[in-house]
Amino acid sequence: MIGMKANNEWKPEEWKIRNLHAIFHPKSIAVIGASREPGKIGHIIVKNFIDGGYAGKIYPINPFANEVLGLKTYSHISEVPGEIDSAIIAIPAALVPQALEECGKRGVKGAVIISGGFGEIGKTKLEQQIASISNKYKIATIGPNCMGVLTPSDRNDSIFLPLYKMGRPKVGDISFISQSGAVGGCIIDLAARAGVGIGKFISYGNAAVINEADLLAYLAHDEKTRVVVAYLEGVREGRAFMQAAKMVTKKKPLIVLKAGKTSAGQAAAKSHTGALAGSPEVYEGVFKQCGITEANTLTELFDFAKIFDIKECGSGKIAVITNGGGSGVLAADHIEEFGLELAEFSTQTKNSLRKILPPYTTVHNPVDLVGDADSSRYEKAIEIAANDPNVDIIIVIVLFQTVGIDARVVPVIVKAAEKSPKPLVVVSTGGEYTEIQRRILDSYGVPTYPSPSSAVRSISKLVKYCNRK
Amino acid sequence: MDFISAMNLAEKYKIAVPRWEMVKGGEQARGKEAALKAARKLGYPVALKLISKKFLHKSDKGVLKLNLNNDDELAKAHVELLRNAKGASADGLLVQKMAKPGVELLVGGKTDPQFGPTIVFGLGGIFVEVFRDVSVRVCPITRDDAFDMIHELRGYPLLAGARGRKPVDEKSLIELLLNVSQLLCDHEGKINEFDLNPVIAYEKGCLAVDVRIL
Repeated sequence: MIGMKANNEWKPEEWKIRNLHAIFHPKSIAVIGASREPGKIGHIIVKNFIDGGYAGKIYPINPFANEVLGLKTYSHISEVPGEIDSAIIAIPAALVPQALEECGKRGVKGAVIISGGFGEIGKTKLEQQIASISNKYKIATIGPNCMGVLTPSDRNDSIFLPLYKMGRPKVGDISFISQSGAVGGCIIDLAARAGVGIGKFISYGNAAVINEADLLAYLAHDEKTRVVVAYLEGVREGRAFMQAAKMVTKKKPLIVLKAGKTSAGQAAAKSHTGALAGSPEVYEGVFKQCGITEANTLTELFDFAKIFDIKECGSGKIAVITNGGGSGVLAADHIEEFGLELAEFSTQTKNSLRKILPPYTTVHNPVDLVGDADSSRYEKAIEIAANDPNVDIIIVIVLFQTVGIDARVVPVIVKAAEKSPKPLVVVSTGGEYTEIQRRILDSYGVPTYPSPSSAVRSISKLVKYCNRK
Repeated sequence: MDFISAMNLAEKYKIAVPRWEMVKGGEQARGKEAALKAARKLGYPVALKLISKKFLHKSDKGVLKLNLNNDDELAKAHVELLRNAKGASADGLLVQKMAKPGVELLVGGKTDPQFGPTIVFGLGGIFVEVFRDVSVRVCPITRDDAFDMIHELRGYPLLAGARGRKPVDEKSLIELLLNVSQLLCDHEGKINEFDLNPVIAYEKGCLAVDVRIL
């Protein structure tokens, strides 16, 4: 669906934006379909709110129970005494319209419909009913057929996957929207493991009411979001999507992984969330037109998101500091391959480096701290590079396999990164020990990469975004 | 849309096309006389084309003759055209001045089911067919978009003057893309496919040699 004429302007409806806020930052929530039975979705959701430490009011709704997990349970939403910001609905599809109608009468601002069994299996009428009830009562409805919403800052977690199976990330400022619940779940789990913080996560499923354009428009103006990441299979209203995407990229980076670009992928997407995929060339054009950074894999999505938290990157001249000559050469190769430049060090930088390096090494970029480098050599080298006016970005390559380096370099780099006026990323290639150090660095907000190529590719995307028109 | 309407629409949107004249009476002898007159007026070399609903595509061989350099060649071509048309009713004969050789490009348009009118730009011939070296944008496009469409082609060096050639007039290409984008937006829902193929780019200006609108 195109949605509107080429020359028209799109704006999200004001009530949608207002009530989305209630979904993300609810003072009270109701779980319609709250269950006493462990393993049921309606049980897991209530449990996740309790275990996650949600501070607002929780109202379980179930006509056949007096209490769920120790909470007083109401048979209908109309009986709930206080105000309700957000209702999470996990009941059979056929019962959803009535429940939503009751929400509307009760003045509920937002609804998250977890239940499936709508447009994705051909029940378009049932889905239209959801849309018309939501529009009538101005309920910002997410879903149906979605995995839920997560706002770590508010401990607001309607994702129906148990905490022990899917980790929850810490508070951060990368917000993430996903058409697919499953892919979204993987990314959230990975983010939690990598120590990457999340502002908001929204699995929006069939998008009967709130679609990707509404969410992007919201996130564009959301002060708690600095980077927006989206996993898309198709878009519902092409032009609205483009305008919403431009709203985002005017203010902050938008990274998109578009699935269904090949004809095989398109066939799968059609039967998946019911969205049609456009031809790959058109999407490529749309992304370029809207200043969207396109990721081709889930790994890239993650790699890019981490680095986009950085605000400034100048013209992208890179200093490479390494304790392994070979990795430095690889980095230099990739820097040229991705159209970036190695910084030309100033005379002062060269002189300063000469003082801290062993006499047998040459002083140029990439800086080889050589195999016996220890934490203090890294500390000094980073400081020198960071103060060179010709340097915009620093890549610090740390090979933990060497004699002089161990976990003690991690706090040194974290501190140096904090002090450095220039963005700094770390490349560490290796096994279990290396992985652990990388995770710690990531959790302190220092973006790390397992290879020079992934680091340089990500930097190239950042530089492109920073220098957009 | 028939050829004449397509040409007129293109010209209305300031899309430069080689000068042309349409003469009536394609099947008859007086058609030949009119064609000769038109060709002399436009100046040789010219192309001669039989315009008929039956032959909507230029690629329909036999009803299009290129590079006619003088009266004799034109007269001969006229005979062949009538023979090849096998009695198909003709709306007339198109006499069009041959465009000088330059860099062949393609500018197209297509309605995307989700984004509406889109505009396509690419290098002509083998580059489009084999390498799919095209850039696509959703209309309307900005001047920056048009600039990017030209510069992001892998074959861009050919436009910038590779192998000692003079660079083509990029400004005129940007204007062309903006004009086509406007045309496509103004006719949203009415045009499914739009083709300027080839567009020939020169050191100064560019010409849309053929216009097809479906």
